[in-house]
Amino acid sequence: MHIPDGFLSPQTYLPAYAVAVGAWSWAARGLRQSLDETTVPRLAMLTALAYGMGLVMLPIPGGTSGHALGVAMLALIFGVRSAFVAYSLVLLLQSLLFGAGGITALAINALALGLAGAATAVAARHLLRGFGDTLSVAVAAWLSVVVPGIIVAVALGIQPLIAHRDDGTPLFFPFGLDISLPAIVLPHMLIGVGEAVLTVLVWRYAKARKWSLR
Amino acid sequence: MESAVTPRAWLVLYLAAVVAITFIHSPGVLAALLLIAIAASARLRWKLLRRALLAILAYNLALSAGYAGLALWQGNFVADYLLLVNLRVLLLAYIGFWFVAAVDLLGALSGWPLATLLATLCIGQIKTFERILRDFRLAFASRNLVRPTLTDRSRHAAAQAQTLLDKSLASAGEAALAMRSRGAFDD
Repeated sequence: MHIPDGFLSPQTYLPAYAVAVGAWSWAARGLRQSLDETTVPRLAMLTALAYGMGLVMLPIPGGTSGHALGVAMLALIFGVRSAFVAYSLVLLLQSLLFGAGGITALAINALALGLAGAATAVAARHLLRGFGDTLSVAVAAWLSVVVPGIIVAVALGIQPLIAHRDDGTPLFFPFGLDISLPAIVLPHMLIGVGEAVLTVLVWRYAKARKWSLR
Repeated sequence: MESAVTPRAWLVLYLAAVVAITFIHSPGVLAALLLIAIAASARLRWKLLRRALLAILAYNLALSAGYAGLALWQGNFVADYLLLVNLRVLLLAYIGFWFVAAVDLLGALSGWPLATLLATLCIGQIKTFERILRDFRLAFASRNLVRPTLTDRSRHAAAQAQTLLDKSLASAGEAALAMRSRGAFDD
């Protein structure tokens, strides 16, 4: 669900970068403490898997693209901070190597998909732990797609309000919230089901190999 | 971009150019900048232009068609907007690919050790994934003289996924041990 380059106004992406830099610094401190020769290969493998999952995408006319994220599996295995840093790297590589997403949109994409997605997944898993592994992991993964979808839709939908010419012509993203919210969130409610299935499969893979899981 | 300027300085210049472009709202100026970038990128130009167009094509077509349909229906269609947004996106994609093609990305990240470490591992994993997927695809094709059934393909996909994760983990494990022996986790 990346926002591509060129559709966010500087009034949006510059403050987002200010917030993201603080969040990256906080997350990097946590990641440094947890890196060792056991966690590094696992993190590298799942980061590359998330990168691959994110490249199979379909454009959604209402403002973004639809694809699986892989952030829930990162968050449920490594925690929010590591997942946020790893997913930010995925977004950076996807934007530089494939033009998917973009540098101006990186901060918003990272905060929505990487931070909010990871935090939602971990919180949902924690709250639903009593319902069993499969259900709690699946719901956590589904929410990790839908919640960032709402954030991305709002960030895009407010663009016509904050960046337009005197005659009202938009300068960046052209559609308001009335279009961006349903156009982005509804497809992602469906994509979330696929994300849930993939996350449960990776979760079982990790559990079978006795990784320490959250 | 091969010059005395360091990869990190190119990164800063690239980021400054990206920000500056988003402050320009004239299609004429954006078109002129795109032409300058195409001219300046010399022998890379057609490859970069093709990559940039392919990268933005699906998304921008969908968005432009959506805007045109809605704006025409509401009676407020502005062709200038479509030109502005498509030129801006194409220019940003073009200079992004130009930067990656001409500058050593890991060198540009060298000031941030954690980012370099993760990027190195991640790029290594991506290459491992690509190689495994290619090997599996070729092996599967060579074993099937007729079109495989859905069951065969599902079984193949499951085996491929399992191997992909195991081999990737083993490869990253070797890289991590090499890094451990060089003191990468000591501080």
